[in-house]
Amino acid sequence: MTLTELRSATTPAAPRALPARAPAPPADQAARQRREPRAAPLSLRCVTKRWRGARVAVLDRVTVALQPGTMTWIGGRNGVGKTTLLRIAAGLIEPDTGEVEVWGESARENRVRYQRLVSLLAAGDRGLYARLSVRGHLDFCARIAMLPRSELQRAVARAIEDFGLEELAGRRVDRISMGQRQRLRMAMTFLARPEIVLLDEPLTSLDADGAEILRCAIAEVLAREGAVLWCSPERELRVRFDARFALEHGRLVGA
Amino acid sequence: MSEAACARRAFVAVLRRDLAIFMSYRTRVFSQAMSALFSLALFYYVSRLVHVSGFGSPDRYYAFVVVGLALLGVIYACFTTPALVRQELVAGTLERLVLSPFGAVRAIIAMTIFPLLYAALLATLSLGLACAVFGLKLHWSSVPLAVPVTALALFAFLPFGLLFAALTVIVKQDNVGTSWLVGCLSLLGGLYFPIALLPHWLQVAGKLQPFTPATEAFRHLLVNTPTSEPLALSLLKLALFAASLLPISIFALSAAVRLGQRRATITEY
Repeated sequence: MTLTELRSATTPAAPRALPARAPAPPADQAARQRREPRAAPLSLRCVTKRWRGARVAVLDRVTVALQPGTMTWIGGRNGVGKTTLLRIAAGLIEPDTGEVEVWGESARENRVRYQRLVSLLAAGDRGLYARLSVRGHLDFCARIAMLPRSELQRAVARAIEDFGLEELAGRRVDRISMGQRQRLRMAMTFLARPEIVLLDEPLTSLDADGAEILRCAIAEVLAREGAVLWCSPERELRVRFDARFALEHGRLVGA
Repeated sequence: MSEAACARRAFVAVLRRDLAIFMSYRTRVFSQAMSALFSLALFYYVSRLVHVSGFGSPDRYYAFVVVGLALLGVIYACFTTPALVRQELVAGTLERLVLSPFGAVRAIIAMTIFPLLYAALLATLSLGLACAVFGLKLHWSSVPLAVPVTALALFAFLPFGLLFAALTVIVKQDNVGTSWLVGCLSLLGGLYFPIALLPHWLQVAGKLQPFTPATEAFRHLLVNTPTSEPLALSLLKLALFAASLLPISIFALSAAVRLGQRRATITEY
């Protein structure tokens, strides 16, 4: 089921008639076929990270495995290491020790395939080019995601439609609101149909419609047997999580 | 679908992005063309005012210096890459490049292309203005050869931008000695005067970088200035600089990104 179909199904009074489309292929079909039969979508084993000069590790032998079709929440106070954990899981920074794998493969083994499968929505409103249009961002994202030519236009059109960006497509990012930028950042995160989505405080600046769009985008990932890791200081009561943890003193504890 | 084709499209996407952002500043081309015109006018009157030994006429010196001015823009463009990387760090967009299948290293390499191509275009415009407004006489029979030499020169210049970009990824500053280096290169590269006027040890230093042979080759091809060495030797030097420095600079850039990821400073600015 595509995201738009999900939205149609879950929003009875949908304001727009959404055309049906052929489902797009997953981020990396070959990688999906090569999965280790018992590997988790995302697993972190004994991940430790210590900042230079710090006496205690920000992450101390953190171990967690996401299950297919599930959404996991990790909470904790500000500065406890949630963003660091997400950055390590995304392959943005490396842990001092420990292993991070997606379907049994690490970024070190095959960076390109790893990045095709994982997508990170960073906290805040950064990561956009102020003078580039919304459509320009999505087109750029699709191309650096190295989508096949046949999929490029369709992925961009789907993202514009699914994330309600039709009226903003031609506008520059510095001329849209914070909430609209967050929608664009979400669209960029989900554009290449990643199997693992890492969300860092994703509801920032979103209105109710935006939150609903996010919920549907997540549901579509889970329907494809992907996995979502959501980090925020407080648990969103409106969101149903399959597993909940809190980061305390560098360790993951049940929440 | 081959990986190479996807990478090629991603490479072009970076160019298109840079072009789109550049074109969003509508007066930039006009203001840069005006700057070029003022520089050309300044040196036109300087060439009339000062008798320069070694040049038969003011026109000969003007032709000599116009090519130097055109190349100065290209040299500047080489060293804009650190500033571009710094912008990406501050905007948080470098993270997106690191996390993309295309990757930060290929994206930064692609980022160097637009400024270099634009500088080459601006250099062509400068030469055109010099011809149209100040009567510069180009040596038309060899001008077409300047096109492949431009490509070769850009490959020889590119590593400098990449090496400084690598430094920017680590130290987070864009002015990592680039401004004084451009000044130094304009002196050693003989952009304003022949390097034969320099002390011997500086002449030797001038031959240790690709800008001097490139300047000589362009002058010879565009305005038929005599060269201090055979043209083929200048071109060979450019090719050797490109072949040796490109892998080194790409390796340095990859190492800088990896170091940033290992130290977790890739997200800092």
